[in-house]
Amino acid sequence: MTDDTRPHMIRDARGKRPDFYPTEGLDHAMSMIMVLANELSVLHDRLDSAERVAKAQGMDLAAGIEALVLDQDALEAREAWRQDFLARLFYLARKDASEAAQAETDDDFRSTIEDIAVN
Amino acid sequence: MLNTFQQAPHPMLPKASHDEAARQEFTKSFKGFIQSTLLPGLTPVYTARVSKAFERETGRTPQGRRDIRQGMVKDLYFQHYAAMNRVAQELLWESVVVSVDRQLPELNARAQELAASTQAKLDIPEGFSPPRYVTALDIHCMPGGYCSEIEPQDISVGALYDRGVYLYSMGYTGPDNDDMGRSVCNYLKRHMPDFKPRRILDMGCTVGHSTLPYKELFPDAEVWGIDVGGPVVRYAHARAAGMGLEVNFAQMNAEETSFPDDHFDLVVSHILLHETSGKAMPRVFAEAHRVLAPGGLMIHADLPPFDLMDPFTQFILDNETWYNNEPFWGAMREMDQFALAEKAGFDRAAARFDTAPMAVMEFAGGHDGYSQSAAEGVAEREFTAGEFAPGGGWEVFIARKAEEKALAA
Repeated sequence: MTDDTRPHMIRDARGKRPDFYPTEGLDHAMSMIMVLANELSVLHDRLDSAERVAKAQGMDLAAGIEALVLDQDALEAREAWRQDFLARLFYLARKDASEAAQAETDDDFRSTIEDIAVN
Repeated sequence: MLNTFQQAPHPMLPKASHDEAARQEFTKSFKGFIQSTLLPGLTPVYTARVSKAFERETGRTPQGRRDIRQGMVKDLYFQHYAAMNRVAQELLWESVVVSVDRQLPELNARAQELAASTQAKLDIPEGFSPPRYVTALDIHCMPGGYCSEIEPQDISVGALYDRGVYLYSMGYTGPDNDDMGRSVCNYLKRHMPDFKPRRILDMGCTVGHSTLPYKELFPDAEVWGIDVGGPVVRYAHARAAGMGLEVNFAQMNAEETSFPDDHFDLVVSHILLHETSGKAMPRVFAEAHRVLAPGGLMIHADLPPFDLMDPFTQFILDNETWYNNEPFWGAMREMDQFALAEKAGFDRAAARFDTAPMAVMEFAGGHDGYSQSAAEGVAEREFTAGEFAPGGGWEVFIARKAEEKALAA
């Protein structure tokens, strides 16, 4: 979970995000699919790392995984991980709310480009 | 080509956990996939589908990049391409923000230790106000831009940029992200072996990626990097100290520096101009002329102008303007740099465009992931709009300040 006792980095880039698809919601859906693909790839790498490390040490990892029982600490760690994961999965919803809060618009974006081209 | 390039660690670089590194590596792979596999499909989609639909609808063939864009935005293939480009950019920053934020207190402390360990100057003036063209939008969608400070002495966006731009460039700019500076240095070595600048200024240096090669090539020179972002020059100063190089940094605007007239023998910039504005860019040229000593060189490594490209290439490149928060990207390519140089006081005949070949082959075999085949894969590409960096080399605009004229009798 995020530590609230110190300042944290800005998560969303300033500037109205364009829509790429005419179908409402598809931009969000596609971004979520790619976040999922990203995490799937992370998981693949981690499992691959684990198997390589275990193999190098002559350890039967598969049997150990089947026999594992989660204790309270493990349950909490996994739930925290899943909540963090969901926060990343919904990053566009966060950006949307941030644009609404900042009142960023397509017109502002367009006029910034026009203005910066000459000013 | 299998891109296995890995960034070289240095004392200021954030350290990613296993999963953070895997997440970041995926965004680099995703960008590579878009450029190698989705991008080439745009040409047949345009030729076979979009240009014909445009003709049916308007009764004329598409003329310039704006017509092409008008047609392409309605096509699902382009929508996927552009959306995935944007998502890849967002995932990239997100993957680095999370990692930097986790270790921010330690990174800020390390920056202060390294800053105290060097003789090199760091000048961050009170009350400096960065120009609107870098604060109005977060350029290339980097959260916080170059200037945001979330606490005093903050370096967070410097760390974010250092790691993020490595992923953005997919390692093409070398293990230290310094290919542009290194390429210009090689160009100087090759074409002007006797040139020995006493003072060198790098304008818009961000975290000093391209600044450091000048100190390596000219160890006796006094080297300065300036940028409008406080956190990025603070990070640059600590990064250089950590890498054992004495390079000075200051928060300063390249339009109006505080250096005296005729002070530098070499003024350079790397991918700075396209992040300025229509009014600022001529002022940067004028300021370079003012601070250059007679006979000194101004070299800007940036984007080639649109006038030499076909409209479809222009259209692809201009996507950055619309989808990646690069407001001046398109307009900059329409500026007449020869006219700007002349107006700034340079002799038009002493200005030219040239190519500084990429230095990526220098890393082959000697650095993590920089295999011979991967480095060759980058170096031997033809220029393709929409790919990161032209394979042949960086476009450089070079102008020399006239030698002092003999005083009239």
